[in-house]
Amino acid sequence: MFARLVKESFVRNPRRKVLAASALILGMAIATSTLTVALEVGDRLAREFRSLGANLLVTPQSDTLPVEIGGVDYRPVDAGAYLNEADLGKLKTIFWRHNILGFTPFLDVPVSIETPQASKTLAATLIGTWYKHAVPVPDGTNFTTGASFTHPWWTVQGRWFHDDANECLVGASLAATFPGGLAPGATIQVAVPAAGDAPPETTSLLVTGIISTGDAEDNAIVTPLSIAQNLSSHPGQFRQLFVSALTKPADALASRDPKSLTPTEYDRWFCSPYISSISYQIGQVLPGTDVRAIRRVAETEGRVLSHVSLLLWVVTLAALIAAALAIAATSAATILDRQAEIGVMKAIGATNALVAGLFLAEELMLALVGGLIGFVFGAGLAHFLGAAVFGSPASPRVILLPVALGLAALVAVAGSLLPLRRAAHFDPAPILRGE
Amino acid sequence: MPLVVQVEDLRKQFGNVRALDGVSFAVEAGEWIAITGPSGSGKTTLINILGGLDTPTSGKAVVDGADVARLDESGLTRFRAEKIGFVFQQFHLVPYLTAVENVMLAQYFHSTTDEKEAREALARVGLADRTEHLPAQLSGGEQQRVAVARALINQPKLILADEPTGNLDEANEEIVLNLLRELHSEGHTILMVTHAPAIAQLADRRIDLAHGRLAHLSQLSR
Amino acid sequence: MFGRLLWKLVRGNGGRLVVALIAVISGAAVISALLNLEFDVTGKLTQDFRALGANLVVSARAIGNVNASGASTGLSALPSSAGLLDQREVMGKIENLRSQAVTGAAPFLYVIARVGDTPVVVAGTWLDQAGQVAPTWKIQGDSAVSREDEIRCLIGRDVAREFHLSPRSMLALQYVDRSVQLRVAGIVDSGGTEDSQIFVNLPIVQRLAALPGKIQLVQLSVSGSSASISAYASRLASSLPACDVRPIPQVTEAEGNLLGRTQLLIVSMVVLILVLTALCVLATMAALAMERRADVGLMKALGGSISRIVALFLAEVGALGALGGLLGCVFGILLAQWMGQRVFGTPVSPRWEIFPLTIALMVGVALAGALPLRMLGRIKPAAILRGE
Repeated sequence: MFARLVKESFVRNPRRKVLAASALILGMAIATSTLTVALEVGDRLAREFRSLGANLLVTPQSDTLPVEIGGVDYRPVDAGAYLNEADLGKLKTIFWRHNILGFTPFLDVPVSIETPQASKTLAATLIGTWYKHAVPVPDGTNFTTGASFTHPWWTVQGRWFHDDANECLVGASLAATFPGGLAPGATIQVAVPAAGDAPPETTSLLVTGIISTGDAEDNAIVTPLSIAQNLSSHPGQFRQLFVSALTKPADALASRDPKSLTPTEYDRWFCSPYISSISYQIGQVLPGTDVRAIRRVAETEGRVLSHVSLLLWVVTLAALIAAALAIAATSAATILDRQAEIGVMKAIGATNALVAGLFLAEELMLALVGGLIGFVFGAGLAHFLGAAVFGSPASPRVILLPVALGLAALVAVAGSLLPLRRAAHFDPAPILRGE
Repeated sequence: MPLVVQVEDLRKQFGNVRALDGVSFAVEAGEWIAITGPSGSGKTTLINILGGLDTPTSGKAVVDGADVARLDESGLTRFRAEKIGFVFQQFHLVPYLTAVENVMLAQYFHSTTDEKEAREALARVGLADRTEHLPAQLSGGEQQRVAVARALINQPKLILADEPTGNLDEANEEIVLNLLRELHSEGHTILMVTHAPAIAQLADRRIDLAHGRLAHLSQLSR
Repeated sequence: MFGRLLWKLVRGNGGRLVVALIAVISGAAVISALLNLEFDVTGKLTQDFRALGANLVVSARAIGNVNASGASTGLSALPSSAGLLDQREVMGKIENLRSQAVTGAAPFLYVIARVGDTPVVVAGTWLDQAGQVAPTWKIQGDSAVSREDEIRCLIGRDVAREFHLSPRSMLALQYVDRSVQLRVAGIVDSGGTEDSQIFVNLPIVQRLAALPGKIQLVQLSVSGSSASISAYASRLASSLPACDVRPIPQVTEAEGNLLGRTQLLIVSMVVLILVLTALCVLATMAALAMERRADVGLMKALGGSISRIVALFLAEVGALGALGGLLGCVFGILLAQWMGQRVFGTPVSPRWEIFPLTIALMVGVALAGALPLRMLGRIKPAAILRGE
């Protein structure tokens, strides 16, 4: 009988229900969409930030002091330490391997260049690196990486070289000093001064494009790493590695010395993609290296990300409270408005508990139905929002559904409690008299 | 005597249901008419139409020279404010206004309010000491008397009463009926719906309805 | 009478009205807080991005610095003299064009000197500007060194490691036949090239390299949209015809893109919440208005014109909207202050324009919610009184 009463009551008077339900639906939609976005955004923005470039730098630990001005290392080639290219695949075996979005090795060689018309010899630096190179990973797969991932702001007029060809890019400022200029398609000869009186070895390189980066590369030649390795007689080696890793902004835990953490805290630190834990893990698989955060990038990223994330959560909280209040208000209004029904039921002998039970049951049903509709609506909104801002839609977190429904039910019931208590004190008589 | 009400072949249909199926009659000024009949006979529908609360499907219903069937919305509004005084079975007082304010409400919709006049109207129905009470603080009979005062305040040409004592006990019923007798003797035209023969007896004339049509017209002597 | 009716209307329905008022207040609070925040967020985020440091470089027009032709010559070579600028002229022009947007400007002159036998890059600059053009440097020790200081220097952490130096250690720099004694003020951790460089005040390097009044480049940190930054850059370039004024693409492009995305995200969220909250309040108001049906029916029966009746109820909900909007705004401004403090650590300035905006919105929404009452104009009073 109880179920029947609830069902009948629920189905009657749809007009009044629609209004109460719309507040519920809208409130739920706000809650769902803001929660979904707040959960997703951290991830997405972090990815966006990778367009700032690499945030980690790996150098040999036993290196001599670099003598760099404007990105050009003035040390002689045989000074300083080197790292092995063969070790690089191990970067994709660390705990946070999926967060390593790209890495690029660099090797600089001072060379002299003969211009196409053989009219002039210029001195410049040859920078060997990767553009899109397949790195063999110990698990059998290949990982494609290179400057296209870690230095996305480099622009090339023409096309990039192939990592296994005798091709190169010439820096825009350097190209301007070539008599008659330089265009893609030309060939230049580069030579490394040999020891003693031996004639220098020349390598012929096809210029595939002109590169501008705003940095040292503008005054240099950029070639595939293998060419720099051959010219400097350091096969399979490089000097510096730039890594682009997806990290989580540093918080209190991240800024502590890992050695001072308790085992549980250490686990938590290790299993969070802080830049410090990722650096540590890289240092483990690449022995003899110094891994440091490129503070300029890492700090800014961390700061902006944590601000935006926090802002969104705070905004979400405010929206949730407003939604909750609106829902509570409408459920209270609904109860107040059905005093006549309550009076009648009490007059024919219903206990306060039964009356309350009936109304709460109905309120719950409304909350569940409204909550479900609101959830779908909100998920749709979040999806659309994600697509509009980040170009890829935000997928609904299904885990939010029970949470959302629970919240809707809780708020609707909480809103009804006070009016129901007042209703318990209603005298049936005046109501039945028609007042 | 001039005719206050002239009804000609009045019909009202609600979907498939014919509430009024061709009713015709006339009422002279000063007459007290009792509209009787079993429930479902169309009594309330008839009185609602005459009061401008509803519109007929077809036919004529002329009250004080105006055919309510032809009036537009604003015309009906003026009609209700100026020509009619309605007394409902359920009183229908505004619950958050005092007795005097309920009467003033009718003045407000007619033209201007006059609190003194409203108090006098309440005094006439014997509620001089209840003017500041809310309906919840008045008995059923007192509430109905306020409703009567409200119905009269704008000097209506026609008083319509739908089961005015239907919700009242004997004592209060007596009081309200006495009021109606007074009004009748003062020359007001009254159309009253009732299902109780004893009350119908008080009127000058009975109009019996059955299934939306006139059963018979009978002249009752007082 | 209208006023009396209105007053009674409000008093008589206390319970329901309080409930509706709460809904309006909370809606208005959220809306005003978000609006307040939205106006400020862009500014705050731009400040965050300025932490990236210098985004404009002024250098000599000639390509300059490349002269690493060989092993031994490379080390002692000073970048070609064709790449030098006149300090007074360039810094003077920069000072003239200085605006609020320029948060830092520092000249640089590099030389490869020696500490003992080891070559080290020494950068002469204005040490007091380090915080502006390189805000992400982590400095262990004393970072506050004035421009006139001729004794103290900042050294990169690799330099410190190489020569076993710590704050307050002494350090001797040699260039050709000149030398200078310095004391380490602080150690710089930058995660970049600077870790292997030594930073001193400009006059020291100028004296060491015998290049008085000369500099190689100027780094500037300019805030604003990418359009305003390029406008500034071109203004500077036209006043310095012998120089190259270039934005640092890594910084400016990414910054512009990211700032745009982040702003778009926040604006969308704010709009979304605004719309939904307004709709929520609308629903609440409509629910309230529907309760008035019986009263409307009765007043119609008494001969009240629908416009007069509706005016009464519109006034009721309008007053509700105005009051709720006002109170909500007050809460909202406080809420925005709290949010700004919590997120950015700096207070958000209250924007008083938000008051009329929010109140107008709430009143508008409230009135919109009550408008269905107009539709009752078409329904016969008999039907309303019957309870349909």
